[in-house]
Amino acid sequence: MWTTEQRQRLYVEHETLQREGFTQFSVYHNKDNDTYYASGYATSNSGRRYGLYITIPSNYPHARPMMYVTDPLPLLMSDGRRLAALGLSHYMHTLEPSSNGMVQICHWREARWHSGIMLFKVFLKGHLWIEAYEQHLATGRNLSEFVGTMAETA
Amino acid sequence: MSTNDPQQQMIRDAMQAIAQRKPGKTKLVYDKTKRTIVAVAEGSQTPRALNITADDADMFAVATVSSVWLRQNWPQLLAEGNVRCQFSSWDDGDALTQCNLGPLPSASVAQAAIILAGGGASVDDVTLRIDLKPIKEAEATPSDFVAPDGTWYRASGSNSEQSVSTIFADVQPELATRRSGILETTILADKSVLLIGLGTGGAHAALELAKCGVGRFALVDRDRLSVGNVVRHPGGISQVGRFKVRVVRDLILEKNPDAAVTTHVLDLNFASKEELKKLIAESSIVVCGTDNRPSKLLVNQLCIEANVSAIYGGAFRRAFGGQVLRVRPKVSPCHQCFVAAMPDEASDVEISSSSDAADIAYSDLPVAVEPGLSLDVLPIANMVAKLALTELLKDKPTTLRALERDYDAPWYLWLNRPEPATPYSDWPPLSESSDEMTINRWYGIYFDRDSECPVCGNFLSNIAANYGLNLDNFSVPQSAAGATSMPVPTED
Ligand SMILES: [Zn+2]
Repeated sequence: MWTTEQRQRLYVEHETLQREGFTQFSVYHNKDNDTYYASGYATSNSGRRYGLYITIPSNYPHARPMMYVTDPLPLLMSDGRRLAALGLSHYMHTLEPSSNGMVQICHWREARWHSGIMLFKVFLKGHLWIEAYEQHLATGRNLSEFVGTMAETA
Repeated sequence: MSTNDPQQQMIRDAMQAIAQRKPGKTKLVYDKTKRTIVAVAEGSQTPRALNITADDADMFAVATVSSVWLRQNWPQLLAEGNVRCQFSSWDDGDALTQCNLGPLPSASVAQAAIILAGGGASVDDVTLRIDLKPIKEAEATPSDFVAPDGTWYRASGSNSEQSVSTIFADVQPELATRRSGILETTILADKSVLLIGLGTGGAHAALELAKCGVGRFALVDRDRLSVGNVVRHPGGISQVGRFKVRVVRDLILEKNPDAAVTTHVLDLNFASKEELKKLIAESSIVVCGTDNRPSKLLVNQLCIEANVSAIYGGAFRRAFGGQVLRVRPKVSPCHQCFVAAMPDEASDVEISSSSDAADIAYSDLPVAVEPGLSLDVLPIANMVAKLALTELLKDKPTTLRALERDYDAPWYLWLNRPEPATPYSDWPPLSESSDEMTINRWYGIYFDRDSECPVCGNFLSNIAANYGLNLDNFSVPQSAAGATSMPVPTED
């Protein structure tokens, strides 16, 4: 299923995470079904922990990986509603949630993704999203107002 | 109208004579004193005469017969005395064109028979009959037909009302003659072009290549022609509802009837990768006219792997301009090098359908459909076709070879208008500028290939070298399902 080049890429991604200061994240190989994913806990400035999980699609790195917030679950908005219930939302920078209700963060949209973008940058965007999410919790304003730094350049 | 009136018959014969006349010998005039039509030497002064022009002679319906078809059916004609076929009947029967000439017959089709002397007994039911009479080779004109055995024949056609001028069309030699002054080669007949994306730009590029004599096409697109497409697409309103690949196939065959065209209704994604790979491997060059980044990058990845050159064309929103990228694998920058190097406005793509808009929208906000005019897409499609042609004819002795020197950049930019809120909004008017950048000019732009490109460069080995990694040992932490303490996202 995976080419040697894809497996090498995932290895390089894992090692890059370790060397670029993202040691809380790893690329994992699931030997039972020969799939890959990347995950770990991000800690916000306020000290809260969030689980981030990246699924690796079969045409990776040419296809865009998806990033979910796995913990806390459910993730709530400032008004107490479930964030995943919004589905695709420009204002909250989210895409379709997983079927078990995990919020999917829009890091790069499909039309902007390319194979030069590495997973540490995706996790970096996850971190930025979490900071903006906490700003949203504190102010009730749309998350998109706080993510100017998430400009889609890479 | 009766054909038995002797005077009318005389005029008809004379006018048919002028229609078939060889140039440079005589001309026909109506002599007012004699009240008849006479032939006089070309250039001679004939007072009291009325010149007869080809326009005056153009009063007969014209039937066009395929020479290739007739040669193929010659054995049957010899054996049976006649052979039946169908003709498109255009303009109330003014033009009768044998259906075998091209892919698109007219709405009204006339049944016809081509008849050798004495072989017409059983053909009373046809609308058009074309009688062939053997003639001496010395009498033959370009409008006569030479049979496979070398015998010359002259045709006289008729329908129930009138005689019909008959023309034999030897399609391929005639088309080749018209191209040969510039292309000077038949090499394009063996070349195979894969066109991916048959919107306005892709379809126009395909037709231009067909007119140049490219002989083999593979067409890939997922969409049907819609009413809204018709203002830009070469396909017309009568074709609405058909898949674009089939509309374009027929238009190609209208221009180059001997072309071999395969059609593939395909969505460009990972699932269609293997089929796409096969098509790319069979191609001399790939022309990619899709207007979203993921499909272009997929084509790029496969073309680099297969070492096949590709031309990528695209219009900016509302076609205020456009760009063309030519990729020679591992020689010039690839599409991945391009997107990694270019600012975002370089990918300011046109959104010409709601499905494109849905692909591009990353959010719940609607994205406006912003198609441009055909007028503004055509310069870009033209450039795509020219670059493709130059690649196909590389190192071949043709007049176009001179372009190899000029088309030396990998990236070409064209502006149709100085669109507000773009970096091009204050470009000077054409009249004021000879050396500043203006609209309506092609700019060839150099940029370097990214030696560390993940598609065409050494992305992995470069990082491995920086970090001291051994790529032969590509293991990452193992994790059995459920072994992680973290709950995982599930997909339906
Ligand atoms: Zn490249």
